[in-house]
Amino acid sequence: METATATRAPPSWATRLAALLQRRSVLPTLLLIPVLVFFIIWNTMPTLWLLGLSFYRFSLTSGRPPRFTGFGNFQSILQDSEVWLALSRTFLFVFSAVGIETVLGLLLGLLFWGSQRLPGRRVALTMLFTPMVLTPVAAGTFWRLIYDPTFGVLNAALRGIGLPSVNFLGNARTAFGAVLAVDVWMWTPFMVLMTLAALASVPKAELEAAEIDRLSWLQRLRLVILHHGKFILLLGILLRTIDAFKTMDLIYDMTFGGPGSTTELVAIMLYRRAFEVFAMGWSSALAVILLLISIAFTATFIFVLHARERRSQDVPT
Amino acid sequence: MQRNTTADVRDAGRTARGYAALTRRSLLGGAGAASVLGASRLARAADHPLKGQSIHMAILGIAGWTPSKLGVDLAPDFKRFAKATYGYDVDFSYTEAPFSQLFQKAATSLATRSAEYNIIISDSQWLGALAQPKWILPLDKYIAQRPGLNVEWFSPVVRSAYQAYPDGSPQRWGLPQEGDCMGLYIRKDLLEAPGEAESFQKRFGSKLPVTWEDFEALTFPDFLKLIAFFNRPDKGFNGFGAQYSREYDFISDPVMTLMRSMGGDVWDARTGQVEGILNTDGNAQALRQYKDLLRFEPGSAISYGVAELIDAFTQGKIFSALQWCAVGPAMITDALRDKVIVVPPPCFPTSSGKPVRNYIIGGQPWVINAFNDAAHREVALDFMEWWYTPETSLAFARHGGNPCDKATLTRADFDSIQPWFRTYKFMLNNSSDFWHDPAYADLLSVQQEGFTAYATGQASDPKHTLDYIACRQQKVLFDSGTAAKAPSAACSGIRL
Repeated sequence: METATATRAPPSWATRLAALLQRRSVLPTLLLIPVLVFFIIWNTMPTLWLLGLSFYRFSLTSGRPPRFTGFGNFQSILQDSEVWLALSRTFLFVFSAVGIETVLGLLLGLLFWGSQRLPGRRVALTMLFTPMVLTPVAAGTFWRLIYDPTFGVLNAALRGIGLPSVNFLGNARTAFGAVLAVDVWMWTPFMVLMTLAALASVPKAELEAAEIDRLSWLQRLRLVILHHGKFILLLGILLRTIDAFKTMDLIYDMTFGGPGSTTELVAIMLYRRAFEVFAMGWSSALAVILLLISIAFTATFIFVLHARERRSQDVPT
Repeated sequence: MQRNTTADVRDAGRTARGYAALTRRSLLGGAGAASVLGASRLARAADHPLKGQSIHMAILGIAGWTPSKLGVDLAPDFKRFAKATYGYDVDFSYTEAPFSQLFQKAATSLATRSAEYNIIISDSQWLGALAQPKWILPLDKYIAQRPGLNVEWFSPVVRSAYQAYPDGSPQRWGLPQEGDCMGLYIRKDLLEAPGEAESFQKRFGSKLPVTWEDFEALTFPDFLKLIAFFNRPDKGFNGFGAQYSREYDFISDPVMTLMRSMGGDVWDARTGQVEGILNTDGNAQALRQYKDLLRFEPGSAISYGVAELIDAFTQGKIFSALQWCAVGPAMITDALRDKVIVVPPPCFPTSSGKPVRNYIIGGQPWVINAFNDAAHREVALDFMEWWYTPETSLAFARHGGNPCDKATLTRADFDSIQPWFRTYKFMLNNSSDFWHDPAYADLLSVQQEGFTAYATGQASDPKHTLDYIACRQQKVLFDSGTAAKAPSAACSGIRL
């Protein structure tokens, strides 16, 4: 007995480590740590910093230290008519852009889905997706040149058919529409992609059953295709909505928010106040408000998405 | 340059005693400031604290702006000069950003007390924003120590625009990297084409301005006749081009020029008052007048900034352009070398009968990062001192830059060095700056928005546009403590 006790060596560190890793919760936690550290450093801390700064009056160029103002910045923003105008312009932009992109994306997606044996389909799809992979700054630059009333190809075409030149980006009446058109051109392919993904999720058997039941095309779309694909489509709409709400680079390059303030979306306003005027406290407060609006968008979409499921679960069987 | 460098090497070999004797002799001989500069340099050369060391200097400058780049292109000359004169090695790196982003780049770096950029080419209006937080070096002490920095400028506006902050104070924070003024670039080949003078005479009953002197006397109403005469869209070109873009200060400069030349002003620099000064009927008339010029401009002029205006002029789309002298090398391409004349832009008649020009000045000062260590500060000051030597100043001019020192600008051959130099020199005494205030960016942002809103038709009433701008600027200045008065009750809820 004594001998047995004496010869049993304590488990080595490698054995103990292996035993530790075999526990279900340890290994995933260890693997998550680098991501969590990265997330905390690059996401959580700046967000908390932003939140803190939003309660201070701080201009980078005043030479004065930050001064605590409580909700002063938020109050100033809510009383600023220019902010409300920029917000209303942004919502108009978001709803117009996402609405048009969704409708066009759905139509084009259905077109490509229904023409799978069409020659050149792959080439056409590749070309269709090209705008989406361009950087907005590059797209903005060449669209600015295309729109140019003196040198632009679009105006050359207009003149070619006997129409007068139009200063698309320089006219207060046309600038908003011109910028919106570029956004639609860029992001409709994304909605096509989401539509194709949604269509791919529809079970073939159900489509065949719908065909046997002689459902009309619209009924098939509503009852079968959208029923199965709505989650992916709504996800696409949600992503586009949040992205369109943040539109900055495209407009910065094309109009810089002008002419006047006709294309000044709230993200441009935020950029200008933060990095041209250096009103850091005020800008942080506006960024917090925009973050809350984005969260509200997401929550609303998720709520709508799951409403039917909740309703069906609530119905007593 | 090489000859001077050789001379410096020879000078550097002299002893401090020799320097003292030289100084005495020079002063007694009445040789003046140039000798004092040489002597001062020799004193430091004898035992320069950086002798034998290698220093790297980083300059932040303006992208796409020739004179800014020249500051670095000429730097190799300083490298040789520094080695020969002071005994240290120096090399330069250059970072650049466009006008609209340069301050952002500088400010975000300086706010962290970084010495990332040792020397910055700032815009003149930023002096307040850079000086107020003490990001840049106050220069009076160093100017007193180094006679080479105590330059006699061609015009008092050089000091008020590129050096002084607050406005009117003797304190200096910058040194002119390059001076700049607006000039009128005219297509001389079109102007002097056969039959044009007769045709103009027949249509307007007056002589077509042709010479530099004719344009010096040209009033704004007569200028309108000229650009109307040469406005020929059917032949593919328009009479005029100017800047209307919302970017940076592109529309503000010419509009404020019209306002001030027509008897108005944009603010009271002493009290920070804007309301009642900017939003006057006279200024509204000036704003309307500037928009009316679009009748003689290409359809895309409403989006013109500096670069677009250069394109329009060099591609033959416009007969004349109100443009900065600094971009002369880009405006007068090889193809246009003998086809362009640069003349003073029009003057404005006054009730007294004496015409007035009060144009906005351009140009940029050098400023030195206050967070530089002693070595980098020393090299920056050596570099500045070298920059204002007559030889460097002349080399700068020959490369297309606009120097500001009296010695260079009063040279007999100065006007002939570059096609725009005569006008640049003339306009230096007819130009002045605006807003050296830390809230410059905020004031400008509101103004750019308002002016472009009116120019593009988003706002229809020029007076209401100015009311809106004045109210917002008054608030900015009141909030920052510059203005004593808050915006008036009329400002409540005002919108474009």
